[in-house]
Amino acid sequence: MFFQVLFRVLGSSDLWQATLQFAALLVLPALAGVISERSGVVNIAMEGMMLTGAYVGVMSALATNNVFVGVLGAMIAGGVMALIHAVVSINFHANQIVSGLAVNIAALGLTNYLLLVQTNGQGVPHLVNALRLPIVTWGPLANIPFLGPVLFQQNIIFYVAIVILIATQFILFRTNVGLRIRAVGEHPQAADTAGVNVRLVRYLCVIAGGFLSGLAGAFLAMGIAGIFNSNMTAGAGYIALAAVIFGKYNPLGAGGACLIFGLGEALSTRLQDTGISPNLLSTLPYILTIIALVGLVGRTIPPAADGIPYDPGSE
Amino acid sequence: MAVQTKQSPPAPKLRPTPWLRKFTSAVGRPLFAFILAMIAGIIVIMITSQGSPGDRLSAALTAYQDLFVGSFGNAQNFSFTLVTVTPLILTSISVAIAFRAGLFNIGAEGQLAVGAMVAAIIAFKAPTWPGWALIPLMIVASMLAGAIWGGIVGILKAWRGAHEVVTTIMLNWIAFYVTDYLIEGPFKAPNQADQTDALPKQATFPTVAGAYNHTLGTFLPQITNPQQYPIDISIFIALLALVVYWFIVSRTTFGYEVRVIGQNPKAAKYAGIPTKRNIFLVMAIAGAFSGLAGSLHLMGQFPYQLIGSTFRIDPTGFDAIGVALLGRTTAIGVLLASLLFGGLLYGGSYMQLFANVPGDLVYIIQALVLFTIAAEFLPAIQRALPRGIFASRKPALVPPVEGATISDIPENDKNNGSTLQEGALTGPPGVVRGSPGEIESTGQASTAVDDSNRIAED
Repeated sequence: MFFQVLFRVLGSSDLWQATLQFAALLVLPALAGVISERSGVVNIAMEGMMLTGAYVGVMSALATNNVFVGVLGAMIAGGVMALIHAVVSINFHANQIVSGLAVNIAALGLTNYLLLVQTNGQGVPHLVNALRLPIVTWGPLANIPFLGPVLFQQNIIFYVAIVILIATQFILFRTNVGLRIRAVGEHPQAADTAGVNVRLVRYLCVIAGGFLSGLAGAFLAMGIAGIFNSNMTAGAGYIALAAVIFGKYNPLGAGGACLIFGLGEALSTRLQDTGISPNLLSTLPYILTIIALVGLVGRTIPPAADGIPYDPGSE
Repeated sequence: MAVQTKQSPPAPKLRPTPWLRKFTSAVGRPLFAFILAMIAGIIVIMITSQGSPGDRLSAALTAYQDLFVGSFGNAQNFSFTLVTVTPLILTSISVAIAFRAGLFNIGAEGQLAVGAMVAAIIAFKAPTWPGWALIPLMIVASMLAGAIWGGIVGILKAWRGAHEVVTTIMLNWIAFYVTDYLIEGPFKAPNQADQTDALPKQATFPTVAGAYNHTLGTFLPQITNPQQYPIDISIFIALLALVVYWFIVSRTTFGYEVRVIGQNPKAAKYAGIPTKRNIFLVMAIAGAFSGLAGSLHLMGQFPYQLIGSTFRIDPTGFDAIGVALLGRTTAIGVLLASLLFGGLLYGGSYMQLFANVPGDLVYIIQALVLFTIAAEFLPAIQRALPRGIFASRKPALVPPVEGATISDIPENDKNNGSTLQEGALTGPPGVVRGSPGEIESTGQASTAVDDSNRIAED
């Protein structure tokens, strides 16, 4: 009975479409985490940056009646939250975990506060289709059975996310820029000696992460949901954090982890017929992460200087 | 045997810290953080309200007045505040004791959830037991459940090196989903949506006012309308927990070892402190305090039942991080900061009702407090200001006290064995400035010990 349902669900294109959609939503903040941690700044603020991005995205799209302004606003909002995290943790040597938590709390408070003030407690309306991020249909490719709906009828951000994922992997490991980023995260003193501006690199990496997380927020609110709700990210940023570690601080690894988490999320709502509670199924990604951490898939080692503020002139 | 290191440069004269300076250094930073955050809150209200600048300012001040009245303004409101404060104290102890070992317990909320759930399960499985047996059993079971939930984190951290921030976040979500499953599944009340039955009557706590009227009130003046004051007697258990926390950290060998691990894990290792075991124990104890918070709130407060998705949206375990940092992880600090945050939280809802300013402002204030405490704004300002104004307070973290020498350093580690500065251990914890999450932390206190290492090696 259980396996019948499981196989039926696994064979449906609907499941895999949802899986890829969730994975794309998670991979953007996960990449934010990868870039930031690779440069040596611990970042658990993706949740807050996403939430702010979602809110500002929806509000600016509504205000200007333009979906592009919405996305831009979302990315800038994510970038601003990241900038706060960067200033506080790079310049003021804050504990980066506390700072990240503070960003998340501030984002939750700020979006709820503004939501009440700006809409007089009414909440934002559903976005009309013109203000939602469009679904791209790849002409005849979309009609291929199974693969069509799964791969060629996704939201535009899905394709953007894939491009960014590959680009990040390439930049981090195949370019000069990536070498500098990794050097700053592994041994800032050496990088500094070699003429790399450690703080600047870290700033840029954290802010780039903010842009990506803001984009993910826009995807969630303007693409998937079509509305902004209070605390609508509901832990997605934390799952992305788990994906960063599961993926061993590698973009492609994180992407793979996001696929697993996406599948877990998509399955949890589709296996109710089997009689297993969706609540219990939802714990799967978290249990997987802990197993990954415990080392069953190899030990995860963060960049050597991750979380340590750099002081020029310190030995 | 005591390791005699080369005499360090002229040892500063030992002189008792004047109590005033001690007071300002302990209270100054938290107070500064709080005032800065409150000012920022005023600015947020002024930006988002309407009218002339004067109107906006008065709107902000009215909101703050309501915030204060709503939290501490009268006995009834204060009583509501205390309801928020009780679990906050316990979860903050949980976060604080982990901080002392240099660990981040972000999992207080998950530990609270399993604690409450296990307590509820016991009450539903043994509904006919008398209160004197049931209540202690529920309390102990909730502490055990929390201890297991926290202990898992400790084990993974100590023996597998899994970062506790990630494992606690993961265990939080597992706890939320599992409790939701139990609340909406096996323990769902018949004909009710997503909630359990209420606890049996004998498994609940009386309110403080009710208890007073039945005991002291029989010969002292009675409290009229006791049902107005919802605070239950579990607040006293929370206060007792504060004393226990103080005792563990300040008066036991275990507490001492935990503080050494938090300040300088390497020194702890060289001194022969069982680091792994203590990391496990401290996380288990942290979990026990949070689990206790869960059962006490369940037993003490209406509706004495668990409702689906409550824990997921309950911010207590996360507020506790701010409280522990604001209170500088000391028992008295945790108490004061809990009152402050609890007041803000309850007062925030009051403010929303009467001043029409969203209560979520409280979270903005809270985040700013965290930023300010975490960031070294104050030292940065001190550096910018001409010397002499604050200069005396700058190295407050590690008072130059001639140290007690650790006597049992292994023979072959002689070169690394340093005079471990007692001051580094009794001073305010380094968590606020350093990065306690990382074992290779560069907290100021440990830097100080490293310095003496270097001196010893010279």
